Amino acid sequence: MARAISNRKKIMWTALSWGIGLLIFFPILWTFLTSFKSEATAISDPPVWFFFDWTTQNYSDVLERSNYPLALMNSIIIAVGSTLLGIIIAVPAAWAMAFVPGKKTKDVLLWMLSTKMLPAVGVLYPLVLIAKYFGVMDSRILLIVVLMLINLPIIVWMLYTYFREIPGEILEAARMDGAGLKNEIIYVLTPMAVPGIASTILLNIILAWNEAFWTIILTTVNAAPLTKFISSFSAPEGLFYAKLSAASIMAIAPILIMGWFSQKQLVRGLTFGAVK
Amino acid sequence: MTTTDIGPNTGPRETVRRPSRFLRNLSPKIAMLPLIFTACVVFLGGTLWTVLYSFTKSGLLPRLSWVGLDQYERLWSSRKWIVSIENLALYGICSLIGTLVIGFTLAALLDRKIRGEAVFRSIFLYPFALSFIVTGLVWQWILNPELGLQNVVREWGWTSFTFDPLNNPEIVMFGLLIAGLWQGTGLIMCIMLAGLRGIDEDIWKAARVDGIGTVKTYIRVIIPMMRPVFVTSLVLIAAGIVKLYDLVVAQTSGGPGISSEVPAKYVMTAMFGGQNLGQGFAASSMMLLMVVIILIPWAYLEFGGKKHG
Repeated sequence: MARAISNRKKIMWTALSWGIGLLIFFPILWTFLTSFKSEATAISDPPVWFFFDWTTQNYSDVLERSNYPLALMNSIIIAVGSTLLGIIIAVPAAWAMAFVPGKKTKDVLLWMLSTKMLPAVGVLYPLVLIAKYFGVMDSRILLIVVLMLINLPIIVWMLYTYFREIPGEILEAARMDGAGLKNEIIYVLTPMAVPGIASTILLNIILAWNEAFWTIILTTVNAAPLTKFISSFSAPEGLFYAKLSAASIMAIAPILIMGWFSQKQLVRGLTFGAVK
Repeated sequence: MTTTDIGPNTGPRETVRRPSRFLRNLSPKIAMLPLIFTACVVFLGGTLWTVLYSFTKSGLLPRLSWVGLDQYERLWSSRKWIVSIENLALYGICSLIGTLVIGFTLAALLDRKIRGEAVFRSIFLYPFALSFIVTGLVWQWILNPELGLQNVVREWGWTSFTFDPLNNPEIVMFGLLIAGLWQGTGLIMCIMLAGLRGIDEDIWKAARVDGIGTVKTYIRVIIPMMRPVFVTSLVLIAAGIVKLYDLVVAQTSGGPGISSEVPAKYVMTAMFGGQNLGQGFAASSMMLLMVVIILIPWAYLEFGGKKHG
């Protein structure tokens, strides 16, 4: 892609992009800085930027007043659990759609995707009733199942688009060499599908991690993940911006760190369906 | 770009032969079963249940005592519901257009091969990693007149600068919109960028030979070629709009007054706040109906005709 762009123009574009980037990054940066300020510095007028007495007081306050480790643990278990459960259900379905498409495949895919656009409140109360019936309100298992259901269409769709890119000839060649269905899946299909599955897992962990609508309603204390933690923190501590910032940073740090280390897969995951 | 690429229409996959005909026909159906089952039971069952109970007098608990269309009459005579619908329409249209336009523009900007693209792209994706709750909190604060943007700009010398959307009923939805765009545009930009990268360099060369300007090439040639990318983006944005709830709760709690209420919040308040389940069911059925009305013609146009493949 060697489009001829003059050097000066290139510098201009780069500067412009970085300006926009900074603008976008600013809210996160500000939250980060504020989390290390004292409450008085946080609302000082004019605002101070970098030169203040950095303190970790807010973090220890938040840790002391709330059960952060439990919320973190819940978030991890729920996000990872729901994603893996979704993958287990979605892989066979996506495999069938991509490699043995029938007349109805496209309709099923479309119908499935459309459920993602339906208002979640429509199934909210029945799910609450079912959860109460089984006595699983405020439990991790309920959230794992519900978030899996919510994200299942996206998981299937992503996997389908990846699987579709695997050329069918390779399977044919494997079959000619005498590979059975089992070997075909283990030795040919799986290695080729791993990058796609990895990206799907990453994206869906983020989606499940950030899902607030369901987690806030279906949990109270025991299974409350970080989204609930931060929303319950915001009410009583509404005016304490430094502590609120610290809590926000603690809620988003794990996912930002994960995102940083898996950028490549993530970007691939985020571009599903769009790459060629 | 490579010759091993197979488009969705070319059919070698259809000709793939399984060792056993029976297995070939059966296994994909079995593989689809868990998916179909969960989708049917949960989405279809749950939705039908909600619609059914929207015709009842359910209050604190769901009861099957029929009241016909009473709940709907009450719903549409509620000022709060009307405001919610108007707000969602405004937010939906603005966020759809805003996300697509900004997302595409930024992707085109990045496609110029700027320095440090990877870092820039990550920065852009960061907001997406934040839940709406955190996004709402952060922006509630940035848009706070005493602490945030307005104060900073005044500090810089523009003392008459006023930007206080969260306390102004007229423009409060735009305060939410800014936060929503900030959170969601990065994802769309990434998808668009991937789409732009997928376009053959020869197209650009041909356009240059024909003397077509860059902007014109984008509008006339590139965007029509990126149709699938736009469809993907559209589905994602639309899904986000319908479930607009947590952002509102975190940023404005529906205020000032009822000026930033949204349908999902109306449902939640009716169900869990007002112990008025019937209203909640009627409101969710109404939302469902609206989505379906918008969805069906679009789905028919997009996927119905097999011409696009």
